[in-house]
Amino acid sequence: MPAASAHHERPPFWRNTNVLKWGVQILTLAAVVAAFWFLVSQAKTNLDDKGIPVGYDWLNDPANIQLGEGIDTVPDTMGRALWSGMVNTLRVAVLGIIASTILGIVLGIARLSNNWLAQKIASVYVETIRNIPVLVQILLWGVIVASLPELTADPGEKRWFFASQKGISLPRVFYADGFYQFVALLLVLAIPIWFVRRYLKRKQELEGGEQHVGSVTFGLFVLAAIIAWFANPIMAWPRGVFHAIEDAWAEIPQSVMQLILTVIAVAGAAWWIKRFLDSRRTPAGLAKLIDDDYFRMIFAVVGALAFVFVVWVLWPGLSSWIINSGSDFWGWLGDKFGGDRGSRPLDGMRPTVTEGGRFVNYAPTGWTLTPAFAALFFGLTFYTASFIAEIVRGGIMAVPQGQNEAAAALGLSRGQALRKVVLPQAFRIVMPPLGNQYLNITKNSSLGIAVAFSEVVQVGQTLYNKNNQTLAMYSIFMVFFLVCSLTISGVVNYINNKLKIVER
Amino acid sequence: MTTTNSMTDVHNGLTDELRARNDIIECRGVDKWFGDFQALRGVDLLVKDREVMVVLGPSGSGKSTLIRCINRLEVHQGGDIIVDGVELTNDLRNIDKIRSEVGMVFQQFNLFPHLTVLDNITLAPIWVRKKAKKEAEQKAHELLERVGIPEQANKFPGQLSGGQQQRVAIARSLAMEPRVMLFDEPTSALDPEMISEVLDVMKDLANGGMTMICVTHEMGFAREVADRIVFMEDGRVVEIGTPNQFFTDPKSDRTKLFLSQIL
Amino acid sequence: MGATMDGPIHVPQDGDAEALDYTKAAPPEEPVTPPGRWVKENLFSSTSNTIQTVIFGGLLLVLLRFVLNLVFSEENNWAAVATNVRLLMSYNYPAEQYVRIWFTVGALAAAAGLSMAAWQLHPRISVRRIGVNLLGTGGVLIVMGILTPGATPSSIRIGMLVIGAALLVIGAGLLFGTEDPHLKHVSFTAVLLTISGLIIAFLWLFPLGKYLFIDGEAIQEDGTVSATTKGPWTVTILILLASLFVGRAIGKAIGGTRPLRLAMGVWWVIGPAFLIFLVLRDPEFDWDYVLKVDLPLALAFGLGGGALLYALTKPTFADQARAVGAVLMGFAIFNWVAAFFGWYAMLQKVRFSFLALALFALAAPTFAGEKSARLRFAGMWLGLVAVGHWLITGINTPSTLDITAPPFLGGFVLTVSIAYYVMLASFPLGILLALARTSRMPIFRVLSTIYIEFVRGIPLITVLFFFSIMLNLFLPNGMAVSELAAVFTGYTVFSAAYMAENIRGGLQSVRKGQYEASDALGLTGVQRTGLIVLPQALRVSIPNLVGQAIATFKETSLIAIVGGFDLLRIADKTIPAQTAFIGQKRVGLLFICVVYWAFSYSMSRASRNLEVKLGVGQAR
Ligand SMILES: Nc1ncnc2c1ncn2[C@@H]1O[C@H](COP(=O)(O)OP(=O)(O)OP(=O)(O)O)[C@@H](O)[C@H]1O
Ligand SMILES: [Mg+2]
Repeated sequence: MPAASAHHERPPFWRNTNVLKWGVQILTLAAVVAAFWFLVSQAKTNLDDKGIPVGYDWLNDPANIQLGEGIDTVPDTMGRALWSGMVNTLRVAVLGIIASTILGIVLGIARLSNNWLAQKIASVYVETIRNIPVLVQILLWGVIVASLPELTADPGEKRWFFASQKGISLPRVFYADGFYQFVALLLVLAIPIWFVRRYLKRKQELEGGEQHVGSVTFGLFVLAAIIAWFANPIMAWPRGVFHAIEDAWAEIPQSVMQLILTVIAVAGAAWWIKRFLDSRRTPAGLAKLIDDDYFRMIFAVVGALAFVFVVWVLWPGLSSWIINSGSDFWGWLGDKFGGDRGSRPLDGMRPTVTEGGRFVNYAPTGWTLTPAFAALFFGLTFYTASFIAEIVRGGIMAVPQGQNEAAAALGLSRGQALRKVVLPQAFRIVMPPLGNQYLNITKNSSLGIAVAFSEVVQVGQTLYNKNNQTLAMYSIFMVFFLVCSLTISGVVNYINNKLKIVER
Repeated sequence: MTTTNSMTDVHNGLTDELRARNDIIECRGVDKWFGDFQALRGVDLLVKDREVMVVLGPSGSGKSTLIRCINRLEVHQGGDIIVDGVELTNDLRNIDKIRSEVGMVFQQFNLFPHLTVLDNITLAPIWVRKKAKKEAEQKAHELLERVGIPEQANKFPGQLSGGQQQRVAIARSLAMEPRVMLFDEPTSALDPEMISEVLDVMKDLANGGMTMICVTHEMGFAREVADRIVFMEDGRVVEIGTPNQFFTDPKSDRTKLFLSQIL
Repeated sequence: MGATMDGPIHVPQDGDAEALDYTKAAPPEEPVTPPGRWVKENLFSSTSNTIQTVIFGGLLLVLLRFVLNLVFSEENNWAAVATNVRLLMSYNYPAEQYVRIWFTVGALAAAAGLSMAAWQLHPRISVRRIGVNLLGTGGVLIVMGILTPGATPSSIRIGMLVIGAALLVIGAGLLFGTEDPHLKHVSFTAVLLTISGLIIAFLWLFPLGKYLFIDGEAIQEDGTVSATTKGPWTVTILILLASLFVGRAIGKAIGGTRPLRLAMGVWWVIGPAFLIFLVLRDPEFDWDYVLKVDLPLALAFGLGGGALLYALTKPTFADQARAVGAVLMGFAIFNWVAAFFGWYAMLQKVRFSFLALALFALAAPTFAGEKSARLRFAGMWLGLVAVGHWLITGINTPSTLDITAPPFLGGFVLTVSIAYYVMLASFPLGILLALARTSRMPIFRVLSTIYIEFVRGIPLITVLFFFSIMLNLFLPNGMAVSELAAVFTGYTVFSAAYMAENIRGGLQSVRKGQYEASDALGLTGVQRTGLIVLPQALRVSIPNLVGQAIATFKETSLIAIVGGFDLLRIADKTIPAQTAFIGQKRVGLLFICVVYWAFSYSMSRASRNLEVKLGVGQAR
């Protein structure tokens, strides 16, 4: 029987796997986009029927609310109120991350201790705490703080420490007027230090011997900090520069910004296609492209065109928004320098009681855990610490036993082996799940709503109960939390990559 | 790609009797790239009905890639592959047809660990060939008998030795009653004492008239069973011939070198 | 996790005794060391060890005292919990219909017993372990008895001391009185029987007191024998034991537990729905309507659809089946579009049925085969129609319950049901997302990645709020869902993203060879996924999925914030508002801590056992 005569016969499109594959995908994409579009327009219609225009203009409306605590407890605009809420969220998240990491590491190591009591207490802690919902724990802490003694101090009396139903207060250090100038000067001074460091490193590579790179850098840095502490007023000049940038930025015409965005999109697509073609290039010329490859390239082009369409037709406001917020940012930065600002970078104070037996919230007299903050903070910290303990334990156990034995053979003590050999290796294993826990703390801080802590979701909810801007508010929540998530995972990935490089 | 840089005639070494039979597999100028690496360079090949062809060649020469292209586990980018009169294209129907007509045995067995031996064998006949379960099971028992492990039907793959696993894999392929069997180094992952039990099964198959393409390093098997031997290097077919020609009178220098190293 | 597995998964079989006895997988227990040497080795072996003992010992005392102060503070009125147990467990469920709750509990106990038998759960527990645990518990009880604050009722203090001492004596007796206690084992059955006996004895002999609300009046009688629940609980425990033995007997009789496992698996998927909607909710069927409309409809779909599917599963009819499936699918989707725009009226049930029929028709070529396979496929359809139509009818029929405040589910029942259904509903969604994210098709991958990462980036509470407030806004005119259903939808959407990530872990552990072998055998993509890839991937994902189940169970507490009357809401808001127990928040919260803990902890223990039993999560 002769071989089939049909050579290179293309199959009909309904049986062509490539066409089918991409057809299904494109149909799905279209369906998803259509469904999304339909739902959003439906919501818009429904809201319009109720007389609620969807938009973000309300951010500048007066807020008329009072927050329990924060950088601004009586914000004048809704935007400002939300911003205060975000800062509160970040505050509890960052403190929670630090505290739960410390507690978690201690517990994780205790679980591996050769001391029976330490081991048992740590494992009972972990097994108990992580099996109780964090919300229940937060509420329980709220009740516990509420049952602390009454506040008995006289108004104006200073103490080192207060613990009462009104909260817990400690002495505090805070940024004073000169802080930004101080940081800026430190950054300027860091440049020569970096050169010195590079020089020493090179010298060490060339000449060998101990050039004390680390300690010299550190010493110089301390010196720079001392200098910057006193000399920071010389950094008043950025004020003018930043304000000039602010003005220049505001002058950018919208069409220019649109053009810039267009160029970025087109260049991005072109770059991607070039890279893609390069990957298909062989010494014998370009490899034969299959349908699949063409689909991919078409998709890149369509994506770029869609973005350009958004920029020019669908949402021209995007460009002016970028211009405005950029300009605002430079203005805000400029205000932090010079003018009638003082020169102390940091200041400290002991807590006092103001009249009416109420603590001053976030005022420069003391660092106060309000009852709501304390409940949320303790709940999050103790809960997350139990997970971090498990992660740390897992990380340490994942380091091969041989490493421990090798360290012992070299004569290191148990503690030294842990510190110098095991922990650095465990760190790498531990980092990704640890990052997950940090994300969880940030997300769980939204449970502060249950104890009326003024974090972003609680503030936002108060606001949309006033003006019904629920849809816009949720978009802000989502963007805020996504930015937090991306930041944390970015940092974790960065550290992870760093560690990998060190390893090589 | 239309260039056919073949160095050998695909009919080399065919006896008259073989020459008269049908073509089962025909490759014409097959090219295959992995990224910018070309793994197959214009491969020509012709396999006749009930022929046993052994593919030899140094590591990385493209043997696995070639037979995986025949089964369309890899998609070739140039040239034509025609199996039993059906050209391999993106046509859904052709792919299905080829897959159930061409059986494949892997180096790593690739048995399904969550299914019993019996279920491994009956799976495809039931779901692809739409056979009745009873019939499929009966056939499976026959095949297990044929590969010499009738008593292992209800065990899980994890409980079998490597040689037994590979024989189950062969039985699994045979259950689909394929026209062609492809073997990719079926004995390379086995301990020496298990190799012969698998080779015996393959010899039986060959004697039973199965069309086979085997990639293997078992020279004894090649010499004894193969109708023809194909030698590959660098993605090219360097030499085709009968075992006798190949082992006693190799044409190319590269083949001579290979043989001197291996024998 | 799965990446470390390079050997094939070991699957335990019926009668494979070695695979079932997972105590063998645990490291061998050490013999008992004499107490003096034990203390020296474990507490004072070196200076640092001694320092740790002192520090952690102090910490232990402080913590214990703190917890005891919380529990036995003078401000606590534990009667607030005792009186409200019914509220906490089942919220407003009418007292006169309470037998339904007990029926449900009994049914769950029976299912649990049968499942224990089906999955052959009978670990052997060493005498040493029992002894050590008794010793430890006894010691802690005695320390607690000494440390407990002055406000503690003296009966409790004495009780702690006496029981602690008794446990110490029994534990020491077991540990030091038996020869080689680490080698002697007690069977699971014996332990279970002992514990059950102790619980029943406690129920009947200990003066529990009677705490009730009667017409809004709190009745609190100390010391009398508990009259309300000890009977039902005793019956429940007996049912559990009986069904365990019945299950084992069945297993022995039919020579394997596989059919029982299958039956129990199906039960755990549909049983709870049956219990909630048909037992707890007790729909009042309008039999006239049922006979005139519901039954004919179900019969038409069941039999007509069954016949159609039987025809389409003929192996030579693959193309026709695809065509019919495509047409049906188009029609089903059009039905929904029409519903959105209100073009024509149609029972929701019919829309669902058409959709299901279209899916079945599309799947027909995959399930094609000879007669018995085709009959089985048609039978599956019939079963689905029967169960589905019955449930939908039941859900849509008004309840007979005389409930004063609307939600008929609340308290612990709500907590458990939500957790259960969220897991169940997000499971298929999670599988789809995971498959899409690991697919080779870029658009699917991108869409699924966006979904997963987006959802995982935002807190659950915002999702729940969003759905409870906004879901109805997104729906067209005339369509609305209840708040609880909206919250449930939101929770499912959220949970699916995490589920997808867990399953993806399992998918990645399936080796490439498995895909190639399936392809080489000619399996279609759907068959490859359903028969080869998913079974292996899911098995690997089980520990993570149980972890997610625990997290889901704990996080149902967030429903309290968005307005559901779950366990937490009742303890946090309802009880402190009762006139008899104004402000009694702490006791309620402490109580639900114990409830949540007991559930989560036992689930995580069970999953650890399961993990060992399945042989996953271990490098081999
Ligand atoms: N999926 C892949 N991606 C990139 N390169 C590949 C891939 N598969 C194979 N190759 C390359 O193609 C070449 C041919 O590989 P192939 O597996 O066909 O060799 P082989 O002749 O079977 O070798 P061996 O005897 O070692 O099995 C090798 O250089 C290999 O590195
Ligand atoms: Mg190979």
